[in-house]
Amino acid sequence: MANYNIDADKALTYDAIVVGSGISGGWAAKELTEKGLKTLVLERGRIVEHVKDYPTMSLDPWDMDLRGGLTAEEQDKHYKSVRSGFVGKDIEHFHANDRENPYTEVKPFLWIRAHQMGGRSLLWGKQTYRWSDIDFEANAKDGHGVDWPIRYRDIESWYTYVEKFAGISGAKLGLKQLPDSHFLPPMEMNVVEKDIRKRIEKDFPGRNMIIGRVAHLTEPLNGRGKCQYRNRCSRGCPYGAYFSSNAVTLPAAAATGNLTIRPFSIVQEVIYDDQKGKATGVRIIDAETNEVIDYKARVIFLNASTLSSTQIMLNSKSGRFENGLGNDSGELGHNLMDHTYRVGAAGTVEGYEDRYYKGRRPNGIYIPRYWNIDEASQSDKFVRGFGFQGGAGRGGSRVAANLPEYGAEFKEKLLQPGPWEFFITGFSESLPQHSNHVKLNPDVTDKWGQPTLSIDAEWGPNELALNKQAKEDAVEMLERAGLQDIVPFDNEHEMGYGIHEMGTARMGRDPKTSVLNGNNQVWGAPNVYVTDGACMTSSSCVNPSLTYMALSARAAEHAVSELNKQNI
Amino acid sequence: MLNRRDVLRNISWLAGGAIITPALLHGCNNEPALGWKPAFFSDDEARFVTAYIDTLLPTTDTPGGLDVGVDRFIDKVMAATNADTDELLPMQTGIRDFDEDARTRFGKVFHELEADQRGQLFSDAEKSPRYQPAVWGTAVGEQPPIGFYRSFKSMVLWGYLSSEQIGTEVLVYDPVPGEYDGDMPLSATGGRSWSL
Repeated sequence: MANYNIDADKALTYDAIVVGSGISGGWAAKELTEKGLKTLVLERGRIVEHVKDYPTMSLDPWDMDLRGGLTAEEQDKHYKSVRSGFVGKDIEHFHANDRENPYTEVKPFLWIRAHQMGGRSLLWGKQTYRWSDIDFEANAKDGHGVDWPIRYRDIESWYTYVEKFAGISGAKLGLKQLPDSHFLPPMEMNVVEKDIRKRIEKDFPGRNMIIGRVAHLTEPLNGRGKCQYRNRCSRGCPYGAYFSSNAVTLPAAAATGNLTIRPFSIVQEVIYDDQKGKATGVRIIDAETNEVIDYKARVIFLNASTLSSTQIMLNSKSGRFENGLGNDSGELGHNLMDHTYRVGAAGTVEGYEDRYYKGRRPNGIYIPRYWNIDEASQSDKFVRGFGFQGGAGRGGSRVAANLPEYGAEFKEKLLQPGPWEFFITGFSESLPQHSNHVKLNPDVTDKWGQPTLSIDAEWGPNELALNKQAKEDAVEMLERAGLQDIVPFDNEHEMGYGIHEMGTARMGRDPKTSVLNGNNQVWGAPNVYVTDGACMTSSSCVNPSLTYMALSARAAEHAVSELNKQNI
Repeated sequence: MLNRRDVLRNISWLAGGAIITPALLHGCNNEPALGWKPAFFSDDEARFVTAYIDTLLPTTDTPGGLDVGVDRFIDKVMAATNADTDELLPMQTGIRDFDEDARTRFGKVFHELEADQRGQLFSDAEKSPRYQPAVWGTAVGEQPPIGFYRSFKSMVLWGYLSSEQIGTEVLVYDPVPGEYDGDMPLSATGGRSWSL
């Protein structure tokens, strides 16, 4: 287990500061420390050591006072994040306190935050997909947003690099819209999923149904154990089988001897030197003592999470940048994106009543995007596309509650697996729209007296058109696959429910229209790199975390190279 | 922690002790002993809960709902998950309405009814809307309002299936499967569900 140095020396100037220790911050810390930089990671929450600080990782329902339910006080503490539907006693301690950390929803927007070492890398869904040139070229081709300053060839080797260390399981398919990763063996589909796959792929040429590509080990790697199919991932994995900063990148960073991680450090702003034309450090508030401290460094990585990194930049005002660090373009805080969520269809499957499965697989099936990937698949109703996640399993107590029965026979049925059910739910790409934005709200302050964010964003007509198509397609595929009792759904979730917030400090080719350049450097502050979701120029329809990992590793190498050349 | 509801209940209990009326005495004498002290429910509500659970999940060769303490568990959950308020929660209103229906049809509240009378009420209540499928913790599709009977049924099933005795001795308990087998005969578990 890593032995973390948590005593940051106030007098010391570090080579590098990394703000945040989630998926991208963990990677930045690993890469920078391994390249020899004395690195200070500033984490606004507490230390969470792998295994040691996973108090619920092996609890059964009956081990918890309310079998996983939250008390009234806990519900109030998480009054926003409980809207997601999955915050229970097993993982509530990894969710931020919504009362101490308010935000304002000008339009409804769910912002899930995880204020502790590891951040949301402890909680994420672990679906892991490469982006393709269809994604990187999308803005340039259809004119929404600005062009990405990079293409697939610029990031391909970095995908491979992070995949080899993170451990990604999946099967190769050779699709141009979903490039293959460097894979560990794939997880297995169950018998019903295999049947549905055959039917869908036969009836819908060009559509594929694959097992999800996930950041779970299906073979041991670097001392981490393989997945034991407990499906208790978000509580922290005792085997280190899924990728988290806590299990993977931060221990590697600590092993170099170059890492200091300072908990309870809320970064207020990046300190910018107008004369030097670069940043000199960051100012923090100690969350426990309220002490204000400045830390200095030669290079700074912002990895606080999409909206938090942007919040820090908006709050970093100087003579040179009166409207926030790097905000010559006026785009800082704008072009907020997410993926749509819970739109698809569910149904039941007959014919496999005597078949069952063993293991709680933390993964499902994936149907890659098939709209607008070539001439033949062009839609006249929308640009971009969507993919589906889903899976089959046998119903439990919810199905039993629907059985019009009670008494002794009912009780015996309750103890048996219910009917096979299958669902697919779409994740649609959202367009970068200037009007979808966040700004500082000085009227609502947090526990530490700091201005908070106002979030003003909503789906546009293209996202709604994509969702309409996703719902229709889902029903059609389930019908052709022979399912019964098909229920179409669109829960019409507002933005934020996808928990894939992206943009607000986008990369671009032109400082007049973007905040970051093609190396994730802030225009006008070249020693500040932003490599979390804030940097995203478009949103693709696939899960973004793998791309944050690759961009972080790529930017770290650039930063060290530039430091060595004394360019920054 | 003594909340406002406890205080109110204690005060009314004191008042009852101070001014004992024949009607109150009569009522008390006819009620079956609960055998436990609810934290959330009134004694009348608790009697309903007990009778409901016993009707839904009776003891057979496997434990019944009361055998694994579902009544006490629901009481505990309700006390812990609801902010203290003097207003009746939907569950309490539901219990009252269900008892009122029993009284209208059979002249007695639910827990006083014979098995076949309870059965008639349950069978009628089963005609109410059902749950839609859920995806990742949330119901999807057009969900008609779920009435008291079924939402309470769902809660009872949760309390039953998440109990240690059912989870480890009746269902098939395998906390660390170690592998995924996507196609095995149901007979491998003796026809029972996995508990987790």
